[in-house]
Amino acid sequence: MPSASLSALDLVPALMAAPGDVTAERDARDLRWSRLMAAAQAGDRRAYEELLRECLPLLRQICRARLRDATEAEDAVQDTLLTIHRARASYDASRPFRPWLVAITERRALDRIRARGRRSGREAALDIAAELPAPDVSADTSLDAMRAAARLRDAVQELPESQRTALGLTKLQDLSLQEASERSGMSIGALKVATHRAMQSLRRRLGGGE
Amino acid sequence: MQSEDLIHRLADDLRPVRPASSPAIATALWLGLACAVIIAATLFWGLRHDLAERLASGFEMPQLVAALATSVLAAFAAFQLALPDRSRLWACLPLPAAFGWLATMGWGCVQDFLKLGPEALHIGVSLPCFGFILGLGLPLTMVMLWLSRHGAWFSPGPVAALGGLSAAAMASIGLSLIHHLDAAMMVLVWHGISVLVVTAMAGKLGPRVMRIARSGE
Repeated sequence: MPSASLSALDLVPALMAAPGDVTAERDARDLRWSRLMAAAQAGDRRAYEELLRECLPLLRQICRARLRDATEAEDAVQDTLLTIHRARASYDASRPFRPWLVAITERRALDRIRARGRRSGREAALDIAAELPAPDVSADTSLDAMRAAARLRDAVQELPESQRTALGLTKLQDLSLQEASERSGMSIGALKVATHRAMQSLRRRLGGGE
Repeated sequence: MQSEDLIHRLADDLRPVRPASSPAIATALWLGLACAVIIAATLFWGLRHDLAERLASGFEMPQLVAALATSVLAAFAAFQLALPDRSRLWACLPLPAAFGWLATMGWGCVQDFLKLGPEALHIGVSLPCFGFILGLGLPLTMVMLWLSRHGAWFSPGPVAALGGLSAAAMASIGLSLIHHLDAAMMVLVWHGISVLVVTAMAGKLGPRVMRIARSGE
């Protein structure tokens, strides 16, 4: 019994110390992340990769808490990584890194939730449409398909040349970014941005939302 | 693509960037640029001949102070909102000054009414006022959008609208220094409409401009 009491008593300081230790550990990690991000802003690729890899579990934790679907949560994580990359100049190294990171992650997760809401609205409308008696107009259907294809062709033709090239290489020919970059002479970053913009323009033009 | 692969690609794609200025420094820079434009405009068109008299006795002085406060606070709020880790409540910062600005013009209308009667509330057309605020406010808005372009990924609509409000308030100050318009009702209507138009255009078209500005880097 005495030894049991002793070990229980021994645990008390450890339990008491735990929150402080956790806070100190978190502070040290935040400081380290701030330094890594400052180095990344200066162009240090190794520091940047290290930082993003270290942050990844936190991003996943936040996105999975917001989005139940694992795939969708991982998409939100990738949206967050892209936003961090594009908006890395907006980080102020004199401020803690974690709130900046968490705010971006929360926003991208929220964007996914909103997008899912819009999608489910459209899917519900499609479900209702599916219950309606199908008209016996196969010719009309193929005509509609041809019209849709023509609209898509027109929309692609109206994209700026850089976006058209990026879309063609990365989406239609399904080349890797490296291959597409070598073939087009555009940087990988420029290709990503141009492809993203092209997809957005097409969605807007063809009424796909998002 | 796995997130780990994306991280590797992003790291490969990394280029150095200059960290965005703090909101206070960006606001100071913006005010410097905007004041330079207003000074250039007054040098070009000349100050209104009765400015000193109007500042001493009319409703212009409180109106100009309120417009300046609106411009400064709207700019500061825009630069705050352009950063991801700032509260969205910053958007409310210029509201008291904007209401104060409206109130000074409204008070001017009341004073005119007491002096001149219903004639003071007559609303004429003053297209030069509208043209001046749009002509000066929209280019100033572009400067503001460029300065706050890092907000393109977070709250671009509110950032752009606040930027437009700040620019339009500055243009309104410039107009008050140059253009001879005595009737408070005319000032309220034409300055008000012009400021609303610039703010709305900025809120609507600004996000696209900010994205273009970002992509050029």
